[in-house]
Amino acid sequence: MEKLSKKVAVVTDSNSGITQNEAKELGIRVLPMPFMINEETFFEDITLTQEAFYERLEGGADVVTSQPSPESVMNLWKEVLTEYDEIVYIPMSSGLSGSCQSAMMLSEDFDGKVQVVNNQRISVTQRQSAMDAKLLAGRGMDAAAIKDFLEKDKFNSSIYIMLDTLYYLKKGGRITPAAAAIGTILKLKPVLQIQGEKLDAFAKARTAGQGKTIMINAIRNDMENRFGGADADNIWLEVAYTKNLDVAKQFAEELLKEFPGFDIVINPLSLSVACHIGPGSLAVACCKKIR
Amino acid sequence: MTNTIDAKILAKMFLAGAKNLESKKEWINDLNVFPVPDGDTGTNMTLTIMSAAKDVASMEEPDMRSLCKAISSGSLRGARGNSGVILSQLFRGFTKSIRDKQELDIPVFADAIEKAVETAYKAVMKPKEGTILTVAKGAAVKARQLADEGCEDLGIFFEEVIKYADEVLEKTPEMLPVLKQAGVVDSGGQGLMQVLKGAYDAFQGKEIDFSISESEGKAATKASAQSNGDTEIKYGYCTEFIILLSRNFNIKHEMDFKDYLESIGDSIVVVTDDDVVKVHVHTNDPGLAIQKALKYGALSNLKIDNMRLEHQERLFKEEKASAQKAAGPKEKEAPMPHKEVGFIAVSVGEGINEIFKGLGVDYIIEGGQTMNPSTEDMLNAIEKVNADTVFILPNNKNIILAANQAQMMVEDKKIIVIPTKTVPQGITAIINYVPDMPVEENEETMKQEIGNVKTGQVTYAVRDTVIDDKEIKQGDYMGIGDTGILSVGGQVPEVSFNMLKEMMDEGRELISIYYGADVSADEAEAFRARIEAEYPSCDIELQYGGQPIYYYIISAE
Repeated sequence: MEKLSKKVAVVTDSNSGITQNEAKELGIRVLPMPFMINEETFFEDITLTQEAFYERLEGGADVVTSQPSPESVMNLWKEVLTEYDEIVYIPMSSGLSGSCQSAMMLSEDFDGKVQVVNNQRISVTQRQSAMDAKLLAGRGMDAAAIKDFLEKDKFNSSIYIMLDTLYYLKKGGRITPAAAAIGTILKLKPVLQIQGEKLDAFAKARTAGQGKTIMINAIRNDMENRFGGADADNIWLEVAYTKNLDVAKQFAEELLKEFPGFDIVINPLSLSVACHIGPGSLAVACCKKIR
Repeated sequence: MTNTIDAKILAKMFLAGAKNLESKKEWINDLNVFPVPDGDTGTNMTLTIMSAAKDVASMEEPDMRSLCKAISSGSLRGARGNSGVILSQLFRGFTKSIRDKQELDIPVFADAIEKAVETAYKAVMKPKEGTILTVAKGAAVKARQLADEGCEDLGIFFEEVIKYADEVLEKTPEMLPVLKQAGVVDSGGQGLMQVLKGAYDAFQGKEIDFSISESEGKAATKASAQSNGDTEIKYGYCTEFIILLSRNFNIKHEMDFKDYLESIGDSIVVVTDDDVVKVHVHTNDPGLAIQKALKYGALSNLKIDNMRLEHQERLFKEEKASAQKAAGPKEKEAPMPHKEVGFIAVSVGEGINEIFKGLGVDYIIEGGQTMNPSTEDMLNAIEKVNADTVFILPNNKNIILAANQAQMMVEDKKIIVIPTKTVPQGITAIINYVPDMPVEENEETMKQEIGNVKTGQVTYAVRDTVIDDKEIKQGDYMGIGDTGILSVGGQVPEVSFNMLKEMMDEGRELISIYYGADVSADEAEAFRARIEAEYPSCDIELQYGGQPIYYYIISAE
């Protein structure tokens, strides 16, 4: 006798870059991340728009991310569980925030109905994880199996981000010592990478052109040496940005010349990343497609 | 007829050679092909040989082995500049060949000179003919010929070898077109001849005369102690002090001050170091020097010695002290925590120093074109950087050899010399360093990236000359690129702009401008605006370099 498959919901947080509107279309639930701006709390995409965020950030406001409150997490889960049997919860990378750790602790009270995925994704790669989870749930996989799948798949993604300025990075401090060492009066554009765990320094460029070349070479290297070849059927390619969409579009065109045939998704970087790296950043990411 | 010499005579000859070189060092400096204000072959070679002479002079009864060791290790450690390094390698090869002998005759000399030349050629990656190497080789060829002919008289041998080497030196302009155009012989070769001639004078037992003939122009003003110690010292008081600057002291002030000191004495060392100036002068009226210095600020660490009352060897010690002071690192010494990889950069100018520090350089050796650090300065720096692997950025083509020499002398750390020929190359090199990558990969990337950097530097000419078919008048401004003079003219901005134009080609997207101590921020900003208008598609980065003598250092990459 075949067991009736369970109804599995996919829940992530707003670090995935998935907007509330988009979430409705995708059938995914998105927990808004709270921001403290000059000690006032805002919720990403609920009470805080991208425009308002950058305006405050560039105005020199003190912007701090914080974890979603346990209450807000549990309330969302409870609400979702009235409709679904299980939840796959995909929070932002545990290397960048403690919210994954908290969620795992909270999930202990849900009798295995909430599976918290610790796959160290952020932004466009976290978004891809949510999409993958949705796909797997559609195939009838249960929450524990999806969690297992995504965690095994966690290193099959790569992000490179070129910053326009070192200012926010220095101000923020959520960065490894290697990256913090780049303190200089020269106008450098650091290229950071998110490889699983942490935001780390990858290289330094002196011009945007150099930085883009560094990122293209790095992502090509990852595709060829880690993900089994630069093949559009095999890999998702994504461009992300902070504030400047036009620059991102132009970069996507440049990428398309390098990687013909790829579908390139352009998405804003989540504000939790943006507040550490500032406006004008440009990122390229890739994830291995699931079979 | 003298057939052999012993260690005692050889020591005397070496000291006389050193002193003869020293007495002509300014003249040799002026033989520089590039009429830059800081041509310094004579100074570099003198400091190199003096480092050994100091040790030799302190030996009571030298035996061959210890004499050879003193000459070899002293000059290796003191080596600075390309010609200094080559000179030290000549001594190294020479002494290696004779250290087990008691007495030296002509066949031994012939072998030793050959060994010297062979060693020196090996030390240079791309040996160039028409240089000190060629002159040394000439000496070796003649020495071999005389030995084969059965010549036994050392007097004749030395005379013939020197005569022939001199002829080779005279031919250097035929071998190197730049020398011919500039109307000079090779300065390093000339330096070597001074050493040989001085040594020959001592061999002959000549009353060594250090006076300089008119034809030698602006020659050394330095009073040297005689080897027999019985001549009178021209300037009697060794005067040292530090000026704590209370007003602006730019390169013009420094030159005025030096000129004044030269009018009252010699052995002048004036080193400006942020807000202090270290001064050393030998004069008969220290009061004059002090009064002049008081115009620039308060004085500290005053020291006046009556040199006439002191032992002559003191001069050598002083040489060393003032040399060290001039090149001495200004970093405050604090024990450094251990790390895997450390960086040493040779740099000059507070702005450029800051840039290097900000990029992660652990130790700055003050120096550059104006003051080439010695191998020993490198060794001291390496010792202070507490890291398993130390990268050295020499940032000057005349310092790379000294760095390589230091690399070979260090055993407890891995030393990697990135052969950066200019400051912008050094900056690009360290920017491309990635902490997480293996050092070999970093080395490769850095070496590759510096090839993409074109550099131009703007300074003024100190004499008339012709170079790269460009006629240059004293006082003109020159833009010097990686391979030669790019522009000449009467205005700094014009010369700098034309220099950059020569440097630019397809694909250059970043222009970095480091302005020197003698350029105001407003002037530099105006210059930047002009460049920006000319190259709208390039990123322009303007930074305060603070370097002396060079108004602008500009790179395009």
